[in-house]
Amino acid sequence: MTAAGSKRGTALIALGLTKHYGGLVANNDVGMRLTSGEVRGLIGPNGAGKTTFVNLVTGVEVPDAGSVRLGDREITGQEPHLIAEAGLVRSFQMARVFGNLTATENLMIPYFASGAREGAAVGVARARELLRLSALEPLADAPANSLSGGQRMLLQTCAGFMIPHLRVYVLDEPFAGINSVVKDTLIDLIMHENSSRGITFLIVSHEMEIIRRMCPLVTVMIAGRVAAEGTLDEVAAREDVITAYLGRTAA
Amino acid sequence: MMYTTELLIQTVISGLMVGVLYALMALGITFIYSIVKTINWAMGEFYMIGSYIQFVAVHFLLGPNYWWLAVIISTAGTFLAGYIIEPILIKPMYARPMQRRDDYATVVTIALLLLLRSLAVAIGGPNQYRPETNLPIIWLGPLPQEGARVAASFCAVVALGLFWLVIKKTWVGLALRATAQNRVAAQTSGVDVLRLDATAFAIGVAMAGLAGALLAPLFMVFPTNGAVATVKGFEIIVIGGLGSIPGALIGGLLLGLVESLGTSFISSPYQNAYGFLLVILVLIVKPNGLFGEKVREA
Repeated sequence: MTAAGSKRGTALIALGLTKHYGGLVANNDVGMRLTSGEVRGLIGPNGAGKTTFVNLVTGVEVPDAGSVRLGDREITGQEPHLIAEAGLVRSFQMARVFGNLTATENLMIPYFASGAREGAAVGVARARELLRLSALEPLADAPANSLSGGQRMLLQTCAGFMIPHLRVYVLDEPFAGINSVVKDTLIDLIMHENSSRGITFLIVSHEMEIIRRMCPLVTVMIAGRVAAEGTLDEVAAREDVITAYLGRTAA
Repeated sequence: MMYTTELLIQTVISGLMVGVLYALMALGITFIYSIVKTINWAMGEFYMIGSYIQFVAVHFLLGPNYWWLAVIISTAGTFLAGYIIEPILIKPMYARPMQRRDDYATVVTIALLLLLRSLAVAIGGPNQYRPETNLPIIWLGPLPQEGARVAASFCAVVALGLFWLVIKKTWVGLALRATAQNRVAAQTSGVDVLRLDATAFAIGVAMAGLAGALLAPLFMVFPTNGAVATVKGFEIIVIGGLGSIPGALIGGLLLGLVESLGTSFISSPYQNAYGFLLVILVLIVKPNGLFGEKVREA
């Protein structure tokens, strides 16, 4: 394994992303640059356009304008499965697992789909390791619909780690609605994959304490634009950020 | 009709034997629906294609001794036809945004049905053909059975077994099971669902083609011979529940049994009516079918 951040290149760069839904401008000229191996937080009040941004970057939706590059590869508007193959994957707010398949089978799908060449045995071993790290090992052969909500979120997150050449992982509200034990397991899992494989993370979350623990830098979105970038304490001190979170009358 | 134990056993056996072939037909319909979310109304025409390929292969190329090779060729031929047709006709439904997918799929597959039937008439005329068979009568205990019928059921069971292996043990099978459950999630996991659609469509129609090839010596080869197969297939879908694989298998066996028992012990001219009685009964008791879980949206 290469040490994280031994070479601080650019993992992902988004420029001028814009998306309209009818008259609503969900994303207006949004740009972001992620350094290889960093864990970035993306915060902002509800309706700020965070999920739209994630959708545009990961190919779930096609931007009206702007571009996305993964490393030196242009991925703007490509099919999600091609973007995943290139090494950029995402998780969803609502855990999307295949309930009728076992936990292990759930993990084998992205592994095979990404065109893994190492064979099934390597994939199964990798799946076992991830299930162990997520404390899901006893449930490896249980159907995924027997898992709790938090366990499903762990499983969904692990699914992304199964892609052998994963470079950037976008997690959309991974900590929402799960208990604190599972939260800690998930944080440890993310930090483990970050340090052992040098994977770059973009984490969308409202959980400020976790963001403070995990993310040296955060980006704040307000009303479809990037409003601020810096450490959590820096951005939290800004007038416009406080106003956006608390509302004008309360401030 | 006199009741005897022998007659009952023979009736049950022949019912199950034809039921396996019905199940094959229904499985093809249900399998395509579960992946592509489309009902293929031209299913019987792929049965027809299978039967024509079987006839041509046996009559002109291989001879009756190599009927099994002809069956493999017919199945592969219908698979290929499905694999070529799906990207042209069905894929546009997903490749660009479409308002009324179900309507589109219905119109397009019915158009395909008419096209394929007309092609069969244009090429082979309205005549009936029958591939030669030299399979001997097979005695199951004291009970005689037509050789071609036993061979057809046996091959159908083998095909169902192969299907099960592919679904349970291969990577494509895993991807198919995942896609059947959640298309979008499969896509974001990196599965190329549009290509998988073509594979699923081809596997589904190949089942119909296989049934057509196997039944060609028994039920003849002619342009509309798929119509009966389609009707049976959809009867089973109603009985078993749309999208349910066990439903297709058990529904197929059940329909075969009911028809066979009714024909033997009640009256033979009403063979097709017994199936519809079963359909009505199931609709009264379980409107979503024996294994159907949810009502289809919109």
